[in-house]
Parts: sequence; structure tokens; C-alpha cells
Amino acid sequence: MNIVGIAACTSGIAHTYIAKEKLLKAGKELNHTIHIETQGTIGTEDELSAKDIAEADIVIIAADIKVGGRERFQGKRIVEISTHIAIKSPKALLNKIQAELKG
Amino acid sequence: MDLLTVIDESRIDLELDVVDKAEAINALADMLVKSGVLSSKEGFIQDVYLREAEGQTGIGGGIAIPHGKSKSVLKTSLAIGRTKRPIFWESLDGKPVQCIILFAVREVDSTTVHIKLLGEFAGKLADEQVVEKLFTSTQTNEIIDIFS
Repeated sequence: MNIVGIAACTSGIAHTYIAKEKLLKAGKELNHTIHIETQGTIGTEDELSAKDIAEADIVIIAADIKVGGRERFQGKRIVEISTHIAIKSPKALLNKIQAELKG
Repeated sequence: MDLLTVIDESRIDLELDVVDKAEAINALADMLVKSGVLSSKEGFIQDVYLREAEGQTGIGGGIAIPHGKSKSVLKTSLAIGRTKRPIFWESLDGKPVQCIILFAVREVDSTTVHIKLLGEFAGKLADEQVVEKLFTSTQTNEIIDIFS
């Protein structure tokens, strides 16, 4: 799958970045193409490119707060979860999404 | 960027002798006080608990990352403690923790460099090998090596 996503937690200091790395690692291990933008206390990093978004099969929003720039995903399938899910079981999450996209 | 600007051997204790979360946070805050990072230990601890009230900071795998963004923090820093015995902590996997990384974040950080470092540091905790070393290292300098 081509995946884009956003990670953002309440204080924007720690969970955001753990969630991002967990999703990236799981994505690579399962042979997906994955880009994750972080919206933390220091602002947006690794901002998603228009091309990555256009090519994405799915958008994963792993956030505990309202994220910015949702309008970029108009017409896309979006999965919304907490950062906890991304940290705790990233592979299971991606496998579930893939199964649902196929089904 | 240099991780040594937020982490220091004087703020790592691999044999933390504590029985619960309150004692652990207190012991880690003591290390922060000793290295001149906090203006008020009580004020800082209060802000740590404010964050705790917002949701679990146990990230699973025996690790907790409590953090306080606080006026009482003079310099954004980390303290790391490994407890002699597992202690109860609100965790994503419902299990106790034995490694606690306390993030002390300045309320107004003129440069975002330090907060960025903390984010990078947190991201490394997604790596299973890093986590394993956190639990098996016997020297404080080995802990620093993991992250640098």
C-alpha cells in the first residue's frame, strides 16, 4: 500500500514521535510505502508532499488532538486512531487496513 | 545536534531503589534538581502529574515516559531511571514498568532545538534493539551510547 499519515499527541513532545517511528518501521517491514508527518509542539515536520498524498491508498491519522490540514485528504480513505494504537500495535493496524481495502 | 545537551550521566540511575510511581518520579526529579535543571521540584512534579492525568505515559514493553512542560524547568533535559523491581504504571500494555525516562521541558524554550532532540530521542524508543539495550546495559555511559 501507499500510506500517508499524521502523528500528533496531546503535548506534542514524545508520543507523536514514537507513533511516527513505529508506523514507519511497521510499514517498511510489511513492504508498504509510508510517509508520516508530525504535528508536535515545535510545529509540523516531514510535511506530506502533494505527490505522496495523491498516490496514497490510505491516510492514517494517529492523533489525540485535532490535526491541521485535513482538507489535503479530500476524497481519500482515512483511518483515524489514537497514537496509542500506533505505538502498541502498528503492524496489526496496517494488516487490518490492508485486509479492509482488499475486502 | 548533540544529545549530550539534554542527557547527562549524572541524570541516569540504573539501580533506582523505589517501590512505586510517586517514589520514582520523586527520585528522578531529585536528579534533575541536583544538576540544576529545575527551579522548583514541587512545581515541576505538579506539572508532570497534570500530564499524567491526560493519559497513559507507559508506552509498553516496560518503559514509561512521563513528561512535564513546566515553568519550573530551567533547561530542557532528561532523567533516566531503571528500577530494581517492576513498578505499577498506567501503560498501553497494562504491564508494570522498570525503565522510566522523565522529560523536563521548559515552558518557553527560546530555541526549539532541545524539544526537537526530545522528539528524536522518543522516536528511538520505537526501536526494539534500543529498548533491549535500555534493559541490559550495566553502565550509564552505555545508555548514552544507545542514543547517540
